[in-house]
Amino acid sequence: MWRKSKPYLLLLPATGTIVLLFFGGLFDGLLKSLGYFPAIGERQLNLDAYTNLLASDSFWDSLELTVRVAAISSLLAGLLGGLLAIALFLLNQYSEDENSRLWHRLFQLPLTIPHLVAGYVIVLLFTQSGVISKLLASVGMIDEMTDFPVLVNDPFGWGIILAYTWKEVPFVLLMVYPVLARIQKSWREVSRVYGAGNWNFIREIALPIMMPSWIIAVFIVFVFTFSAFEIPFLLGVTYPGMLPVYSFQLYTDGSLSDRPEALAVNIILALMTICLGLATYYFSKRWNVMKGWE
Amino acid sequence: MASLHINQIEKKFAPSKTGQQAPFALGPIDLTIREGEFFSLLGPSGCGKTTLLKLVAGLTEADAGNILFGDNDLTKVAPEARRFSMIFQQPLLFPHMTIEENAAFGLKMQKIGKKERLLEARRMLAMTGLSGFEHRYPDELSGGQQQRVALARALVAKPRLLLMDEPFSALDPGLREEMRELLGTIQHELGVTVLFVTHDRQEAFELSDRIGIMGGGRLLQVGTPVDLYERPESTTVASFLGLKNIVEGTVHSRNFESHDGQISINTGQELADGRYCLIFRPETLMPATFGNQATVPSVQFTGKVSKLKFNQGTYVALVQAGDEMLECMVTRDQAENMEVGQLIKIFVKQSDLQFVEY
Repeated sequence: MWRKSKPYLLLLPATGTIVLLFFGGLFDGLLKSLGYFPAIGERQLNLDAYTNLLASDSFWDSLELTVRVAAISSLLAGLLGGLLAIALFLLNQYSEDENSRLWHRLFQLPLTIPHLVAGYVIVLLFTQSGVISKLLASVGMIDEMTDFPVLVNDPFGWGIILAYTWKEVPFVLLMVYPVLARIQKSWREVSRVYGAGNWNFIREIALPIMMPSWIIAVFIVFVFTFSAFEIPFLLGVTYPGMLPVYSFQLYTDGSLSDRPEALAVNIILALMTICLGLATYYFSKRWNVMKGWE
Repeated sequence: MASLHINQIEKKFAPSKTGQQAPFALGPIDLTIREGEFFSLLGPSGCGKTTLLKLVAGLTEADAGNILFGDNDLTKVAPEARRFSMIFQQPLLFPHMTIEENAAFGLKMQKIGKKERLLEARRMLAMTGLSGFEHRYPDELSGGQQQRVALARALVAKPRLLLMDEPFSALDPGLREEMRELLGTIQHELGVTVLFVTHDRQEAFELSDRIGIMGGGRLLQVGTPVDLYERPESTTVASFLGLKNIVEGTVHSRNFESHDGQISINTGQELADGRYCLIFRPETLMPATFGNQATVPSVQFTGKVSKLKFNQGTYVALVQAGDEMLECMVTRDQAENMEVGQLIKIFVKQSDLQFVEY
């Protein structure tokens, strides 16, 4: 009995902490979003916070910005990551030396940078007083530094998109390249003998093989950017903020009575993330990445 | 359809960076493969067979010489434009495609419509015994079945020449035999020209119209299986074909004498005086016992039975003749009436003697 239960008991402190902090926090948030807030004397469960939220323009503006930023940055990261993966794969196919490995390592560098640092890098590079505007002004491509377009803290979210694209390209590369690397060099020879040029090889062999893992990588990037906080907080504007920032603002700037709405935003975010996660899981099962491989 | 002409083709490889492997040079090689012929390149590993095959496929670029298909010079033509098919040692099927998509790949590259190419693929899969497997993926098939798909993929593209690089070497013996029979039948039925690379003598002899024996980057001898076996032009070819009875000696005035003087026989043919090797095929050595008598011009010598071996239905007597140990195929009756240590007379038809210079 002891032998059987020992591993579970040993895991108990870790699982207990996770359950308490994660699910406890989530459950507490759910209760408060439903109006159960004894600190202000509310003990009745209701959907007022959700109703108010869905009726407010701020929420819909935030949601629109969130979806836009998440979609554009994950698509851009997916496209660039996919292109880089194919380029690295071709480099590896045609060159025998160590160059391809070096390039591979170089492209993985942004993975090691924390998101907050990535945000500061974007600030330093792309603000109107940043390095790039200074460079362009000094070579005479723009007259004044203020002529440089507003790319950081802009209402469209370009700064956030730039930061996420830069950070997530290596992630997509990391997900896709190992699949491509499994393509044997002999397959290129086979395809050539049967009449496939370079483009046909990419279209018929490389792309279909990488597509399932590429789609899953883009999904993951989308889900992550959808619910991430620090970069939108640093590079976004006051209004509209992305949903996590909007929730933070409601929670910290408003009164205690605004908190159920702030937590309702979080619950909606969590639900959407769960739905997207389930969709990713469903598609990863359906497009079994390794279908047909031995 | 047309013949393939390989003219003075050469390829040199630089030594490996570590210097562990010596530089390898292939050729110059001249060879013509006739339309509809099954031609095998036979030789030990590392003799240049696959390099020659890849030169023909266009996957390796030649340093000198040219390759013609009919009147077309293919030397500088990219492999994708040659309209050849190739089967490798491994099936190399594309894992994300179903079996019928794999089989139809060549036709897709030729821009044949989907309906037509899948129909052709299914027909060829049926021919290779894979009906019902069309919608499966490669990992759902055994190694032998995968190689059948590779064969179907190669044939469905209607190649001008089918190149095969030891396609059955990864299969177990039973399956290999089955595949050989299948390939022989299909090749006969479709009349496709085949250039087949193997180091398996039995495979080459069973399938080929003609065989080219390779060694050290050179084409040593080309001929029909019977020609090669009965008339090897060098001891290297004879050794590779498994002929063990090679006796060194000298010819003087139409008389061959082994170095130890134990075998002294009339050559029965015009040969310049000099050093020669005499090659006896085991089945031509007949023990002169039990009333066996030569009915045609023969030569004979004496030897002592050193060992008797039974090997799956055949009996082999190892006969010591001087310094030479000769293999001699005998019948079951002969073997049962032989004893180790017994002195026997061996005779061999003069027409079966094969002399090669060395």
